[in-house]
Amino acid sequence: MIGFINGKEVEFEENETVLSVAEKYGYFIPTLCEMKDIHHTPGTCRVCLTDIRRKKDPRHHIVTACTTPMEAGMEVLTRTPKVREKQRLQVELLLADHNQDCASCIRHGNCELQDVAQFVGLTQTRYHYPHFYLHRTRDDSSPAIMRNMSKCIRCLRCVTVCRELQGVDALVITEKGLETEISVRDHLPIGDSDCVSCGQCILVCPVGALAERDDIEEVMDCLYDPDVATVFQFAPAVRTALGEEFRMPAGSNVEGRIVTALKRLGADVVLDTNFTADLVIMEEGTELLKRIRDKDILPMFTSCCPGWINFAEKNYPELKEHISTTKSPQQCFGAMAKTYLSEKMELDPRRIRVISIMPCTAKKGEAKRSEFFHEGIPEVDVVLTTREFARLLKREGIHPGDLESTAFDNPWMGEYTGAAVIFGATGGVMEAAIRTVHHAVTGKEMAKVEFEPIRGMEAVREAEVNLEGAGTIKVAAAHTLKAARKLAEDVKAGNSPYTFIEIMACPGGCLGGGGQPRSKHAYQASREERREGLYAIDREASVRQSHNNPQIQKIYSEFLEKPLGFKSHHLLHTTYRDRKRMIRHTMKEIWREIEDRL
Amino acid sequence: MAKVIFGAWDGDVIDNRTKKIFEIGEYPEFKDFDEFNPGNPIKAFFGGHGFFIFEKDVNLLDAALQYMERVARESCGKCTPCRVGTQIIRSKLELLTRGEGSVALLDEIENIAEHVKFTSLCGLGQTATVSVLGMLQYFREELESEIASRKPVSRQHCTTYVSAPCIEACPSKVDVPRYIDYVKDGKFTHSLGVILQKYPMAATCGRVCVRFCEMACRRTQVDEAVGIKVLKRFVADHERFVTNEWFSSYAIPDKKDADLKVAVIGAGPAGIAAAYHLLLQGYPVDVYEAKAVPGGMAATGIPEYRLPKAVLSKEISIIETLGGQIFYNRRMGREFTLKSLFNNGYKAVFLGVGAHKGKTMGAVGEDPHLEGYAFGVDFLLRINHDYIDRGIPMELGEKMVVVGGGNVAMDCVRSALRMGVREVHLVYRRGREEMPADHEEVEGAEKEGVIFHFLTHPTRVISENGKVRGLELIRMDLGEPDESGRRSVTPKEDSEFTIEADHVIPAIGQQVEHGFVVPEDNVGFSGWGTIQVKTESLSTSRKGVFAGGDCVTGPATLVQAMAQGAEAARCINDYLTCGRVRFNPEARMSRLVDDVQPMIRTGVSIPIKHEYRVKIRELDPDVRKKMFEEVEKPISMEEAYREANRCMRCYRVYSVITEQ
Repeated sequence: MIGFINGKEVEFEENETVLSVAEKYGYFIPTLCEMKDIHHTPGTCRVCLTDIRRKKDPRHHIVTACTTPMEAGMEVLTRTPKVREKQRLQVELLLADHNQDCASCIRHGNCELQDVAQFVGLTQTRYHYPHFYLHRTRDDSSPAIMRNMSKCIRCLRCVTVCRELQGVDALVITEKGLETEISVRDHLPIGDSDCVSCGQCILVCPVGALAERDDIEEVMDCLYDPDVATVFQFAPAVRTALGEEFRMPAGSNVEGRIVTALKRLGADVVLDTNFTADLVIMEEGTELLKRIRDKDILPMFTSCCPGWINFAEKNYPELKEHISTTKSPQQCFGAMAKTYLSEKMELDPRRIRVISIMPCTAKKGEAKRSEFFHEGIPEVDVVLTTREFARLLKREGIHPGDLESTAFDNPWMGEYTGAAVIFGATGGVMEAAIRTVHHAVTGKEMAKVEFEPIRGMEAVREAEVNLEGAGTIKVAAAHTLKAARKLAEDVKAGNSPYTFIEIMACPGGCLGGGGQPRSKHAYQASREERREGLYAIDREASVRQSHNNPQIQKIYSEFLEKPLGFKSHHLLHTTYRDRKRMIRHTMKEIWREIEDRL
Repeated sequence: MAKVIFGAWDGDVIDNRTKKIFEIGEYPEFKDFDEFNPGNPIKAFFGGHGFFIFEKDVNLLDAALQYMERVARESCGKCTPCRVGTQIIRSKLELLTRGEGSVALLDEIENIAEHVKFTSLCGLGQTATVSVLGMLQYFREELESEIASRKPVSRQHCTTYVSAPCIEACPSKVDVPRYIDYVKDGKFTHSLGVILQKYPMAATCGRVCVRFCEMACRRTQVDEAVGIKVLKRFVADHERFVTNEWFSSYAIPDKKDADLKVAVIGAGPAGIAAAYHLLLQGYPVDVYEAKAVPGGMAATGIPEYRLPKAVLSKEISIIETLGGQIFYNRRMGREFTLKSLFNNGYKAVFLGVGAHKGKTMGAVGEDPHLEGYAFGVDFLLRINHDYIDRGIPMELGEKMVVVGGGNVAMDCVRSALRMGVREVHLVYRRGREEMPADHEEVEGAEKEGVIFHFLTHPTRVISENGKVRGLELIRMDLGEPDESGRRSVTPKEDSEFTIEADHVIPAIGQQVEHGFVVPEDNVGFSGWGTIQVKTESLSTSRKGVFAGGDCVTGPATLVQAMAQGAEAARCINDYLTCGRVRFNPEARMSRLVDDVQPMIRTGVSIPIKHEYRVKIRELDPDVRKKMFEEVEKPISMEEAYREANRCMRCYRVYSVITEQ
């Protein structure tokens, strides 16, 4: 069909929106709530106003481009004085309802609302009603996620991500009129709710309404405390994402620069979570084989992802025996740092502060689990997300782009294999485990190191692994909790065909984690580059199987003895809880709420 | 008749300010606008399309403020202009009514009001400022003179009312956009709560309602009506496993005196709805049911494949959870009488006995005692009761003819197929377009292989030794529509033909059976044989006796019966607490809203993206026609969210300023 935008002919399909046609032809229309990457056009911000004239109607109408379909012969004008004036007024109204304490905002300088104010040429804000927003919910009950509804602009992107991508559906909309908030189901503080702390909502929030809990001050306290020894670890997915915060090309591997930066910050020991990823493979792989041999509970789910663990404990507690008892790499690292490393380096474990840099918000909660405290001492003391780490560097005047790379130099926990680094991508744990399990069963390395069938971005990938004498097992790797739910339902119903299942809560795996750099007006814009960066590190690694990591061989011979042995069972394995929430409302309570809304 | 002094509606301006009151012409549209309730004149009316002023001393600023207060409170809060804009207008008007601020504020209000109207997401915002804009654009000097006086304005008597076309169309006045909103918001329990405010049979209604709401849905101006019924079923089914925990005596706020007992006669939709509301208001309620099962026509007249009995009985059990008692096999006029009820201490009685007696076709040789002759509702009852519940086999032969064009006829033919009848004919005297049955039902029957004979009328029942052998029929010609809009039919000469059949099932309507009262009971009947009641109170000619449902309206729908049951409960409560039925402002506003509908000229004028309605999965016709399993499958959560998002929220705010 043919129509016109700003007088020029445009071609489009039936039901295509004005916004999408305008974009295709390079006409810029400012938008705020809409987010194409997650198919989200709620039409709530009403900023993308344009002027239309239909073929058989001489009147001009002001409509939103995101919700209005193009029609044959329709004339669209995107920049008339009236359109510009209405767009400005819209943003002015948005700001009247927004806590404009910008300087202290987590999104300061990186805010989509500020961008839109510039796009529409806002020069004044006439309406100031602090009572509109100052009393709105601020929820700091979660160790991972902070909610400040005085900043919320009701774009509903967080609801869509939580509901449609993750299938967690922890967020609801409450109240009406000015009191409308994005709230947590059943009026719970987010820390006690169905929320699994995956943090995907933060990645899509255009403003500072949702953010990670900021633990930078705690890290600084450690760094400047002469009585403590700081031991830093950083996760595989951090190294190919951090650069984005410093305008380096997406996917750049800044591993060596992170080491330099941490040393510059005053870190006492800089190590790699990759090392314990290799350790996890040894434990988890052995556990899998034991379960197969003993005809124990199968399929076995991976346990690295704390978002998934939260999800499973809150939704499928009946499946908790299916989850590998092996702790996550972060916690294995903490446990080893305060035992093995402290022994080797002759450091008092009580003086050690383990600080993680993670692509993940849920890791903050994981570190706080009571299972990971021993005599009051946590295995991991503080967790920073990639974003917080970038802010810490900025506060300390360190720009990784300006730094030389430094190699890990710790003789005990610094080395890693290619198998560990791909933990950061969905399917990576499975692939790493297969490399080692294959060797454990057959005594031979796999002919081809890369296990392609389990790679990729489909929600669930499945494959068969031929373990030669030990038969063939069926495995699956899934990302997003929506996909996890489907697999869990099958297990629950007793008709899962798999022996081993990897679950990563975040789309793409850790590289798309809720603690990774945000992109504006786009969802996980550099996912491909980050992933390619990780696979490149694996390809170029001299050792690509966890069992071939010499420091892993050493930790078993000098400290742990053997996978699933007495010591490793004690230090590297854990248990899970039933955290299913039972809330029963009476109709009387529901009616009271409905009537309050009247 | 109310005189319009000035006003503006959908761009039309009425200005009689310079005329004397007696010079103003009469507008028949406003014949019902004199008084709100007796002795209380309506001084002004505001709506989503404009406003009318009927008396000179109305303060416009205050009227606008009170209207905008309601609008701002009703805003769903999602889109910017409605959420924020209406609040800013409200606060500016508030300043002006306090005697503060200058006429310059009017420009600001107008600017934002226009903005709200043209850029809001839903129907509420798009109409929220129309009446205020009408004042500003055509009668600004009135506002300016009010401002010039610089005196604080005292609040006028104002009644506000929020509704939408779907709500107005629903006999039970279910707040449809709100329950759909709650689906969008992810709160299914709240969504069901909205429905349960009106009646307990949500999952039942979500399956068999005739959907007046969907016929009124404005989304039809864009693509197709919102799947309101299927969303109701979705939330009801989604939450059904916890139903019992929701209702306990805890749900009842204050118990009434134990001697204020109410008897409900008939456990059909009307009786159940009446009992439900009376129980929630704290009355002790006993329900008497003539049959061995509850549900009335919903249980006996609707086949299992459309409404599984487990669904219905679960919802009726709410009555017992709330503390009500249902006594079965107790037929009024047989086991007890109206007199005995009052003697036993009941202070009020609700008659919801239904219309269960089949109508004959008026054909030669027709005799209800013939073997193979059964009325539609009796036929369905036997299938539901004897065959499905108790497993008693039924001998139905090879061929059957069903006569009628309503849902009962459709239920009969589709059930007959499921019972193994090889050849099922449907005879209807008008054309397919004239059939009162839901078109989904007609299509379903066609797909399953029913043979339709339109424009055909039965003339003679052929029988042999007291047993039906067939039906003689004649073709009909369709004439012009009569006054009621239905087209008349006349027999076509020499077009007689015969269908052999083992069974003939007339399903052409039901009547009220009269045996439940005696003349001394003093319950009056209409010429149609239905119980006569006062429309505003549902009270019969006997004091303390109320009636509703099919026994009052004649055979109607589930939702109409439930609406009457709820209304009767309100009236009985009034009767028992203040001795008379009180004025109901909501119902009055609803009538005013109905009066102004013909004046609405603006429809959906901007293009809206087409999003077609969710397709409901059905069992394959070849499979389903052999069994009674539910034909329509539930929709998924994703589909429910998507369907809910199709709702355009056509809320409109209305208000009246009255003398007192």
